[in-house]
Amino acid sequence: MTALVVAALSAREVGRRRVALALMVTLPLWFYLLRREAEGQSIRMLTLGMGWAVSALTLFVVNGSRSVDPRLRLTGASTLDVIGGRLLALTGGGVVLALGYWVLVLADQRPDRPWAAGLMMVLTAVVAAPLGSLVAALLPRELEGALALLSICAVQMLADPPTLAAHLMPFWSFRELGTYVVDGADAGYLWRALLHAAVTWLICAGGTYALFAWRLRLPRYPEP
Amino acid sequence: MTPAPHRGKPESGWAGRFEDELLRLGLQPGRARELTEETTQQAAESATAPDALFGPAHLYARHLLTELNTAPHPAIANPNPRPAPGPGPYLDPGPYLGPGPDLGPDLGPALDPGPSPGLGPGYGVGHGAVRLRLAGVSKRYRRRTVFSNVDLTVRAGEVTAIVGANGCGKSTLLRICAGLVRPSDGTVHRTRRVGFVPQDGGTAGWLTASEHFTLFGAAAGLAYRRARSTGEHLAGRLAWRPAPDQLAQHLSGGTRQKLNLVLGELHAPDLLLLDEPYQGFDQGTYLDFWRQVHAWRDAGKAVVVVTHLLHDLQHADHVYDLGAAA
Repeated sequence: MTALVVAALSAREVGRRRVALALMVTLPLWFYLLRREAEGQSIRMLTLGMGWAVSALTLFVVNGSRSVDPRLRLTGASTLDVIGGRLLALTGGGVVLALGYWVLVLADQRPDRPWAAGLMMVLTAVVAAPLGSLVAALLPRELEGALALLSICAVQMLADPPTLAAHLMPFWSFRELGTYVVDGADAGYLWRALLHAAVTWLICAGGTYALFAWRLRLPRYPEP
Repeated sequence: MTPAPHRGKPESGWAGRFEDELLRLGLQPGRARELTEETTQQAAESATAPDALFGPAHLYARHLLTELNTAPHPAIANPNPRPAPGPGPYLDPGPYLGPGPDLGPDLGPALDPGPSPGLGPGYGVGHGAVRLRLAGVSKRYRRRTVFSNVDLTVRAGEVTAIVGANGCGKSTLLRICAGLVRPSDGTVHRTRRVGFVPQDGGTAGWLTASEHFTLFGAAAGLAYRRARSTGEHLAGRLAWRPAPDQLAQHLSGGTRQKLNLVLGELHAPDLLLLDEPYQGFDQGTYLDFWRQVHAWRDAGKAVVVVTHLLHDLQHADHVYDLGAAA
């Protein structure tokens, strides 16, 4: 229940930051428009831009709540309520954004496997939110966190897909799915992408929880 | 106080828990039963289950007792100081103030709390029960010792001020009391329910005051409506009526601190830890704040205030000079 309240109010907070929200929503669009002539590339770039936007927004929201979280814990909320609620809100927002862009792609490009294109975008949004929160947990200052996310996305974009570096990047799953969607590759790409996304999500969400559970831990002082 | 047997048939469910909590807090059985009947009647009139309307029974019982004790403390208007109880860490006016401002006999003594209005004779909410005890507490950051061997005891119905020079670790000590910072050495015993009001921050800039009440109320297990009405009621005691659409970031510094105070008290804690909470208060609000502190004291809460204002000390029952201990 507390997690749902945290989620609802986090969504409301983000909704009030209209300029930031507009920039987040439009950022993937620029990525898409710049590569619109190349069908496969445009979908990949759109998805990468969406991943960066959702993870950056999560980073700022989580960092912006640092002074409130300890008080919520003292008042009685659990770490899972606090962190889980925020992740729920931002994942939900990311999925809505992904579905919106999926509709755009379907209308504009008609890929061969439309459902897989939608899956690729939704999966990226689902992975991006905990990635942003993990970076926020590791790098408490916003500038450092934003630069780290920029580095991750740049490496993801530039790394040669068969290399180990590309495989270790958090958004590698969408590149595999992109091959499945755009190039008509076999189902092995799909399953590897799902597995990679699941493992990445577990690492990011689990890491976020572990770090915040440690940071927001309260000692069990005995009663006087 | 030993709770007397209930008159008539014992209540069960929410009303029973509510009455039990009132008795546990030291209210006379007759008055407890009366309040229980009034509360259940109020819920019945609004055709709402008591737990939906008021939230958890034990929390509402605490709120109600606090609300019934809102009159200014007699000590504000007519201080009745008595000597501090024996030697200890509490401030001796001499060495701390030296030849500085004359604070008179109000500095450092334990003020007689006097009778609490509103609940009739026999009401004595836990006066004297220890809510916080620090023994040999030290804090070091790497090689730098911030303070060492702090011994401090705070009881229900007492206001303790922590004073000291800038950088002597007052806020760190308060955060140790809250549990937000670990002590390097020493032991801390503390009541479970604690409210913490930081010196700054502690609020979400893009939420309104009402949304803060909802958020912190949810964390405390309060029902949505109860959290909002309690928050607005507590804000009213600080002469503040939150505007429905005003975001916290648009509040003045003083009003934001009022919000912080309300959030610290929303879940009816037994121990309140306040870190210079009056930053930005105007004179009237400052007086309202201290009236509120004394109302908490009368309701049996223990209050610890970090301050650097010497004239604040007249409001405290005990003063702990951390600068001398460090």
